Amino acid sequence: MESLNAETWDTVICGTGLSQSLLALALSRSKKRILHLDANDFYGEHEAALSLQEADSWAHAHTGGDVLHHDEPASGKNTNENVASDKNKLLTPPVLSGKESTLFRNAHVWKHPNAEAQGLSFPRAYSLALAPQIIHTKSKLLSQLVSSKAYRQVEFLAVGSFYVYGTTDAAHGTTLARIPSSREDVFSAQSIPARSKRALMKFLKFVIDYDSDEQKPIWQEKADNPLSEFLVEHFKLDEHLRDSILAMTLTLDGKVTVKDGLATIHRHLTSIGLFGPGFCAVYPKWGGISEIAQVGCRAGAVGGSTYMLDTPVSIDEVGHGGDIWLKLSNDISIRTTSLISSQQTYSTTSPTISRLVAIINSPLQSLFEILAEGAPTPAVAVVAFPSGSLPNNSQPRLDVPVYAFVHSSETGECPSGQSVVYLTMQTTPQSSHVLDIALATLLQAVAADGDVLYKLYYEQANSSRHSLVTSQGSATVFEFPSPSLGLAFDDESLDTVKEAWKIVMKDDALDNAFMQFEDREGMGDDDDDYD
Amino acid sequence: MAPSEDSLPVLKILLIGPSGAGKSALLLRYCEDQFDPESTTATIGIDFKTKKLAVRGKAYKLNIFDTAGQERFRTLSTSYYRGAHGVILVYDISSKKSFASMEKWFDEARLNANPDAVLYLVGSKLDKVAVGGRAVSFEQGKAFAEAQGAEFCEISSKTRENVKRPFVEVVDKIVQKPQLIAGATPGSKSIDFDMGGFPSNPCSC
Ligand SMILES: Nc1nc2c(ncn2[C@@H]2O[C@H](COP(=O)(O)OP(=O)(O)O)[C@@H](O)[C@H]2O)c(=O)[nH]1
Ligand SMILES: [Mg+2]
Repeated sequence: MESLNAETWDTVICGTGLSQSLLALALSRSKKRILHLDANDFYGEHEAALSLQEADSWAHAHTGGDVLHHDEPASGKNTNENVASDKNKLLTPPVLSGKESTLFRNAHVWKHPNAEAQGLSFPRAYSLALAPQIIHTKSKLLSQLVSSKAYRQVEFLAVGSFYVYGTTDAAHGTTLARIPSSREDVFSAQSIPARSKRALMKFLKFVIDYDSDEQKPIWQEKADNPLSEFLVEHFKLDEHLRDSILAMTLTLDGKVTVKDGLATIHRHLTSIGLFGPGFCAVYPKWGGISEIAQVGCRAGAVGGSTYMLDTPVSIDEVGHGGDIWLKLSNDISIRTTSLISSQQTYSTTSPTISRLVAIINSPLQSLFEILAEGAPTPAVAVVAFPSGSLPNNSQPRLDVPVYAFVHSSETGECPSGQSVVYLTMQTTPQSSHVLDIALATLLQAVAADGDVLYKLYYEQANSSRHSLVTSQGSATVFEFPSPSLGLAFDDESLDTVKEAWKIVMKDDALDNAFMQFEDREGMGDDDDDYD
Repeated sequence: MAPSEDSLPVLKILLIGPSGAGKSALLLRYCEDQFDPESTTATIGIDFKTKKLAVRGKAYKLNIFDTAGQERFRTLSTSYYRGAHGVILVYDISSKKSFASMEKWFDEARLNANPDAVLYLVGSKLDKVAVGGRAVSFEQGKAFAEAQGAEFCEISSKTRENVKRPFVEVVDKIVQKPQLIAGATPGSKSIDFDMGGFPSNPCSC
């Protein structure tokens, strides 16, 4: 059997997050010698889907509020845009292990005192996603999964209604209202007054070709202004409709610009119907992004790459004859001509988000209605609580929105009869409390008599948004940016995958061959057996 | 005549077990009637193989998945096990060590696969008995399988002895479990990517 240190690897990939795993997929037909490692004993790194047991120990490892475990002080180091000048050493050797990451903090778990009696099942019955992003059907991620044939191993579910919490009219009080996103929706929405309907129709029509020469003059000068002002000033949308439109952007600070906001809404609206009626986005069954990461790694393995989990690695030496020497946790030394990892240190300019994952012993059925004839039953619903909409008595007015992704048991993330709610907001001093209020408000609004059985709270930051490339002679160290904090998958991260792919492929990188593969499947027979 | 290919129920069968047990050899012998005594790298590039099989007068399409080497450091992903109807656990009858690891493999299969999935134990390299290479007796294998609630047989990919049997018997067990076979047609809730979205995608007809 070949051994790990027998010859030089073409590349060593550290971490099995989505970027690294898509890279593994991209390289899976390349004949390169690839070693793919993860310090954790599960796949997915910061985008993993965890059983309750894994979630408990993950939370335990990320309880710290003090985020750095390094000798150096936090300041200055995190911008990390250093370029190595020393011939033999990287100035800041990358932190290669997701376990030592400073991206997460203040994690804690709460369990209902009678959780089991209330229906909490065994730990493996759950699969809690650390980064539950929805994927718009227009996303290049899906087209790459199709062209690489990896999509066959993933089951995609529909993301259904987007709801906004608030007061639509005095008669109904505060409720969840479906966000109208098509002509039919607008016409059938009873809560919208006729005048507002016209304004909304005008806006929806505008967004569809907002980037055309005809429409551009309307917004270009205001491109960097807040979208919320633009909606009111130019389109005369009332407060409720403004909130609805803003919710569609999934903006975490509520301050999305006209330029970015219009692009996001455009993506949302033009994604509807692409793969079938009634939905604009999909979600991979069994834990979202993590499932795609695992399928990418499997493709890498099928292509001959070697996989090791539970194996932290550190840099021993760089530059020796153009090779990078690495030391594995089991003291084996290996050498490679390129090293791919992801940045594990938060950037001081990064926003921080707070997440609350909650298991509810109710299916919250009413949120998963079928949206159009022939549409699949949605497995994910999105609920937005606009800035200032949540009841909070004592604190200063909360000026950021809260979003809830509600996942039915169809996602495979919980047993049937239950659901998982993923709440996200920009971190404030009270966010742990605010997310609890949002969760309670949500359960009340859907009139569910469900109890919260289990909660996982944590805060997440991100690294610099650029990939870091350090070269010495023929050896290259490449670091992906950490996962984005956005609630919808952002195609930009695919560009960095291609960047890394080019580094490993060197002269063999043919642009139009990236992620373009034939099916591996072979019909193995002419002589079928019947007995 | 048998029903057309596309309408056949699809069953997902996994092969698991320690490195060197003979999983890939079994897959290649069963699906392609090939055996290569030299090569372990021959399995690179094999995701799964498809084979048609009829039991009790009804035809099925088997998608048989190989571990792709991810068993070597025990890094099979949970996604490998998704939707599997049957899991064939393979050990090498000439290796005590490989037999001793089967308990862990059964645990892993139970932990990750559908609780209804059919587990089946295979002792491989039966031809080695002739050269005095047996290290695990038939009775040991049989008793262990029974303790795990699994069926059992011994096979040789080299001589073809019994290679069809594990597949026939696994499918026979699967089709007796209606709740398991119900999943053999894709769920109505998942989205069919072949239906739309990417006109460039060649149709699979
Ligand atoms: N004599 C004999 N050798 C076998 C048999 N099946 C597999 N082998 C050999 O055992 C080694 C490992 O087999 P392989 O199928 O690659 O094992 P895997 O790691 O479980 O996929 C190879 O050298 C095979 O040629 C068999 O039935 N008889
Ligand atoms: Mg093999």
